[in-house]
Amino acid sequence: MEHKAIQFNIQRFTIHDGPGIRTEIFLKGCPLKCQWCSNPEGQNAFIEPGIYRSKCIGVSKCGDCKGICPVDAISFYRNKICAVNRIKCSNCMACVDECCSEAIKSWGSSITVSEAMEIIKRDKGFYDKSGGGVTVSGGDPLVWADFVQELFKECRKEGIHTCLESTFHFERWVMDKVLPYTDLIISDIKHMNTVIHKKYTGVGNELILENLRRLSEGTVPVILRIPVIPGINDDMKNMKDSADFIINEMHGNVRTLQLLQFMRLGEEKYISLGRPYEMGYIKMYRKRFARQVEKIRDYFVGRGIHCTVGTKEKGEEKNDSSSDA
Amino acid sequence: MTVVQMHKPHGVDPFDKTYSLGYKVNHEDWSPYPRVNHLRKTFLDREYYIDVERFRNVTAAYKENEDATAEMRCARAFEKILMNATLYIYDEDLILGEIAAPAKESPQYPEFSVNWMLYEALHEPFEEREHDQFYFKNDEDRKEFIELCQYWKGKCVDDYANAFLDDEQLKGSQSGKKIFQTNLYHYGGVGHCVMDYGKILRIGYDGMIKQAKEGLDRLKKTDPDFAVKREFYKAAIYCYEAAKKYILRYAYLAESKAEAENDQKRKEELLMMAENCRQVAGGPAKSFWQALQLFNFATTLTQIEGNGHSISYGRMDQWLYPYYRADIDNKVITQEFAQELLEVTYVKMNNPTKIRDGGTARVRQGRGFGGECLTIGGVDKDGNDVTNDLTFMLLDASVHTRMMCPWLLVRMHENTPYELKVKTVECIRAGYGHPKIFNDAPTIKCMMRKGCTLEEARDYAVVGCVEPNLPGREYGWHDAAYINTVKFMEMVLNGGRCLDCGPHCPRWEKCGALGKQLGPDTGSLDTYKTFEEVLESVDKQFEYWTDQMCSTLNVIDRAHRVRKPLPYLSGFFEGCLENGVDITAGGTKINGIGPQASGIASCADTLAAIKQLVFDEKKYTGSQLLQALKDNWTGHEKLYRLINSTKVHHYGNDDDYADDLFRFMFECYCRHLTGRKTIRNGEFTPGVYSVSANVGMGLNTNASLDGRKSGEAISDNMGPVHTDCCSHDYCGPTALAHSVSKVDHSLATNGTLLNVKYPQEAVAGIEGRDNLVNYIDEYLALGGMHIQFNIMSSATMRAAQKKPEDYKDMLVRVAGYSAYFVELGKPLQKDLIQRTELSFG
Repeated sequence: MEHKAIQFNIQRFTIHDGPGIRTEIFLKGCPLKCQWCSNPEGQNAFIEPGIYRSKCIGVSKCGDCKGICPVDAISFYRNKICAVNRIKCSNCMACVDECCSEAIKSWGSSITVSEAMEIIKRDKGFYDKSGGGVTVSGGDPLVWADFVQELFKECRKEGIHTCLESTFHFERWVMDKVLPYTDLIISDIKHMNTVIHKKYTGVGNELILENLRRLSEGTVPVILRIPVIPGINDDMKNMKDSADFIINEMHGNVRTLQLLQFMRLGEEKYISLGRPYEMGYIKMYRKRFARQVEKIRDYFVGRGIHCTVGTKEKGEEKNDSSSDA
Repeated sequence: MTVVQMHKPHGVDPFDKTYSLGYKVNHEDWSPYPRVNHLRKTFLDREYYIDVERFRNVTAAYKENEDATAEMRCARAFEKILMNATLYIYDEDLILGEIAAPAKESPQYPEFSVNWMLYEALHEPFEEREHDQFYFKNDEDRKEFIELCQYWKGKCVDDYANAFLDDEQLKGSQSGKKIFQTNLYHYGGVGHCVMDYGKILRIGYDGMIKQAKEGLDRLKKTDPDFAVKREFYKAAIYCYEAAKKYILRYAYLAESKAEAENDQKRKEELLMMAENCRQVAGGPAKSFWQALQLFNFATTLTQIEGNGHSISYGRMDQWLYPYYRADIDNKVITQEFAQELLEVTYVKMNNPTKIRDGGTARVRQGRGFGGECLTIGGVDKDGNDVTNDLTFMLLDASVHTRMMCPWLLVRMHENTPYELKVKTVECIRAGYGHPKIFNDAPTIKCMMRKGCTLEEARDYAVVGCVEPNLPGREYGWHDAAYINTVKFMEMVLNGGRCLDCGPHCPRWEKCGALGKQLGPDTGSLDTYKTFEEVLESVDKQFEYWTDQMCSTLNVIDRAHRVRKPLPYLSGFFEGCLENGVDITAGGTKINGIGPQASGIASCADTLAAIKQLVFDEKKYTGSQLLQALKDNWTGHEKLYRLINSTKVHHYGNDDDYADDLFRFMFECYCRHLTGRKTIRNGEFTPGVYSVSANVGMGLNTNASLDGRKSGEAISDNMGPVHTDCCSHDYCGPTALAHSVSKVDHSLATNGTLLNVKYPQEAVAGIEGRDNLVNYIDEYLALGGMHIQFNIMSSATMRAAQKKPEDYKDMLVRVAGYSAYFVELGKPLQKDLIQRTELSFG
C-alpha cells in the first residue's frame, strides 16, 4: 500500500532550505515543542482546524459552520467566529468544507507519495537549472519516515536532489530508513545544556547530539543551524560549547553553520490554533541583537567553522553600491 | 558589417558588480561621471510645460500651403518648424538636438487632433489633472494655444476618421462604452517603429536625398500613381534638405557658444560638437560620437515630424558597434569616454515629452514621451550570440542613470552568456524597473508568423512595451487599441447588455430606452444550459466587437494616410524610397495593426467560476451569479468570499482547470484578430498586454465573476487576478510561470507581457541573484515571451505615497515601461502595491 503523510504546506519555489530553487513539503507532527517555533501548526501529527476571525463575514450573513458542527464546538463573539473548543472538537473538518471565506482553514491534509511526486516533478526544470530539488521539513518529517523514504526513492529515480530537515530526536532505526536516500541534511543545535534544552523544547538534547555525532561520520553533508534566541541561547558560553561540539564531536564535518536570528513570526498561527504565544515577553533591541549575532558569527569563523547569518551558504556579494570612476 | 571579436565582451563595470538592492532615497550620483549626474539632476528638477512654438509654426505653414498636396504641406511644415525652432544647448551636454521644444516641454501636433486640446484647455485644464499634469508657462501661451486651435477645426486626422464612423462602430469605443479604445492613433501619431539606423549612419542625409532623386528619375508617367509618387519623392527630398539645414544651425550655435566660452575644456567640447554637426548634416557618421549625434538627430526629427511615440532604438548594441570598434581600435576614444557618451545620450533620451489627451493619459500614465525601447543581445542572422562590449556598456549606462528612458530590453536565448545574465539580474535587482527580458525562441516564431524569413526574424527588435518588430521593414501600428475583454464578458453574461443598463447612461436614448442591447444577444446566465453554450457565446461576442474595432482602426489608418503622410520617416524604411510609397500608405514590408487585450485572466476566472459553481458542482444557478453581479455583490457576501477563495479554481496556480480556460480566452481573442486585413495590405496582430490600462478600464467596468467589485482594476497583461479581497495566485512564481506558459505565446504576434513583483530580500545575496538568473532561465525554457520584474517592497511604495517629494526619481515597472511612481494616479499606485508580491518562502 502506498504510504501517506499529513502535510500542512507544499511550497513551490523556496530558496531558504537547501541550494537552488526547491519545492518544500512540510509534514505535520514533531517530537519537540520549541517555544519559539514559527510553525506551530506543524506540531500535532493530525489534521486540525485553524481559526481566522478577521476573515469571518459573520453569523448573520452566513453561520454555515454553526449549523454543521456535530459537537457544537464553535463559539462566536460579536457575530463572528472566535474559537473552537479543542476538547470537544473531533477534527472532522465539516466546518472547513462549509466555510466560504476561509475563516476556518484546515491545518493539514493527507497526501500520498504519488500525489506529492506529481507536484514535485512539475518544477524539475527549475531544479535542474538552479541546482535545486526537494526539501522535506515540518514539524519533523521523520514522524513520517516510511513516507519520506518512499518519496526520496522516487526522487532519486527522477534525478531530483533530496534534502531532509529534521530535529533528529529519533531512534537510529528511524533515521536509517531515510538517510540512504538523502543528499543533504539540515538540522540544528538549540542549546548545549540539556536542562535548558528541555525547558524550552520539551526534550533533552542527548539523543539529538548523539545523532548529530553519528551524522558527522556519515557521507551525507550536513548544514547545521542555531536559532539564536535572545536571552535563551545567545550567550557566548553556549556558543563556545556549540563550537567545541562541532569541532570535537562532529569533527568539523559541517558544510555550513547558519545562524538564524529570532524573529517574532507565527503569532497569528498560534492564535488560529487557540494556543498562547510564549515568546511574547521577549524583548528585542533589533540593532543590538543584530550586533550580537554578528559577534557570534565572527566567533565561529574564528574557530575555523564556515558560518553565515541567515540561510545563505555562499559569502557576501561584491556589495559596491557607491560608484567609483 | 561583421566584426570579428578577439576578446571577451565586457562593460566598464565588472559583470557581477552589485549596485544596490531596491530603491535608495536621495541617491544622486549613480553614475561615475559627474557630468551625467548633473544632467540627470537638472532633468529631474525641471517641470513639465507646454511649449507652443511648434503649434505656431505648423499652423502658419498649413495656412501658407492650403493648396498643396498633403505630402508637400507636411514637408513644408516640417521645414518651417526646423527653421524657426529655438535651439538649445544645455550646460555640459555632449549630444545636440531636441524635439523643437525645450527639454521636458511638450510641443503640440494639431495635425492629428485639436478637438481634445481645445476641450481640455477650456474645460479640463491640463494643470488640474490628477496625474500627467502639464503647465502653461504664462497666460499669453494659453490664449495663443486656444486661438491656434480654431484654425484646425475639421482639418485634422481625427476629423477625417470621425466622418466615417457610424454608431455601431462608435458605441463600443472611447466615445461610447469603452469596450475598446482607439484613442492613441485616433488623436495622435502612430510612431511605434524602429528606423533603420544603420542606413542613416552609413549614407547620411545626402545619401537619402540621392536615393530619393534616383527614385524620382526612375518614375514613369505610365505609372498610374505617377503624380502621387512624385509628390512623395519631392516631399522626402524637401524634408532631408530641411534636416541638413537644421543640423547646420546647431553647428553655428555651438561655434558661437564656443567663442563665448572661457573654460578651455568646454570650449573644445563645443567645437567638437560643432564639427560633428557639420559632418552629419549631410554626410555619414565617421566616429562613435558622430554616430550617437546623428542617431539623436535622426530620432528627434521623426519625433518632430509627428507625435507618434515609441520610436524605438532597435538593436543599438548591433548597429552602433562598428563605430565603437573602429574608434577603440584606432585609439580615437577610450572605453570610459564611450561610456560617458552613452550615458549622456541616455539622459538626453528622456527630454522629449508629449502631452496626450486625458483619456489616453488615464490608461497610459506617467509623463514623458514614452515607449523608446532599446534592444540589446540576441542572435545574428545565423543564430549565433551577438553579445559585445556595447551590450554590457548599455546595461552599465542604464544602471548608472536609472531614468525612465530608454526602456532597455535584453534578448535572451539558449546561448546567452552567463555574464550577460548576471549583469541583467544585477540591474534588475537594483530595483529601478529596467531592463525587461525577451525570449528569442517564441518571438522569432511570432515574427515568422508575420511573414518574416528566419534570417529576418532573428533580427527582431522590440517596440514600446513588448511589441516584436522588424527594424526598418515594419510599420506595425503596435498599440493600436486597448481592449477591455471583461466588458466583452459582461455582454456574454447579460444578453448583450451592460449590467447597469439604465437611464443614467449617456447611451440610454440610443439603445436601452429603445429596448435594444449594446451588443448582440448571444444568451445570458439566465439562459445557458451547458458550459459549451457559454463558450460559444464568448466566441460570438468577441467576433462582433473585433468587427467593430478593426473596421474602426482601418478608418483611422486611412485618415493618417490621407491627412498626415510621413515623408521624413518613410526614408528609413525599406521599400518607401525604392517604390515611391509613403510609409502611411503601406510603403514598407510588414503593415499590421496591433491592438492589445486586457483582462484575459479576469475572463478566465469568470469562466472557471461559472463552470465550477454552476455546471460542475451545481451549487449556484447562473441567475444567482448574474444577480450578484447586478447587485455589485451587495447581499451576496458568501458568494463573493467563495469566489475569492482558494476553493474556486483560479488562473495562475498551475491548475489546468482554470489555466485551460485562460488558454481558451487567449486563443479566442487571437483567433478573431489573426488574418484580418489592414488597408495597408497587412494583417492584424493580436497582443496580450494592458500596460496600465487595466486600472483605467476597471474604473468603467461593472462587477465581474472573478470577484471584482465595480470599479476595481481588471487583471493586468498575462498576470493573474488580484481583487480588493485577495490575490488569485497563491502557489508562487514557478506555478505562475507554468500557468503563463501553457499558451503558445507566438500566437500573440503583437507581444505578451508578464509582470512579476519580487520582494527585495528574495534576491539578496549571491544565492538570491543566482536563483533569479535560474528562474528566468527556466521561464524562458518553458516558452514565455517576455518577463519583467519589480524589485520593490510594498512598504517602500507606501512610504513614497506619504512623502512623494523624497521619491521623485523612484522608478517602478508599470507594465512594458517604467515610470516615476509619484507621477502616477492613486488607483494605479494602489494596483501596483496590490499585485501579488511573490514570496520565495
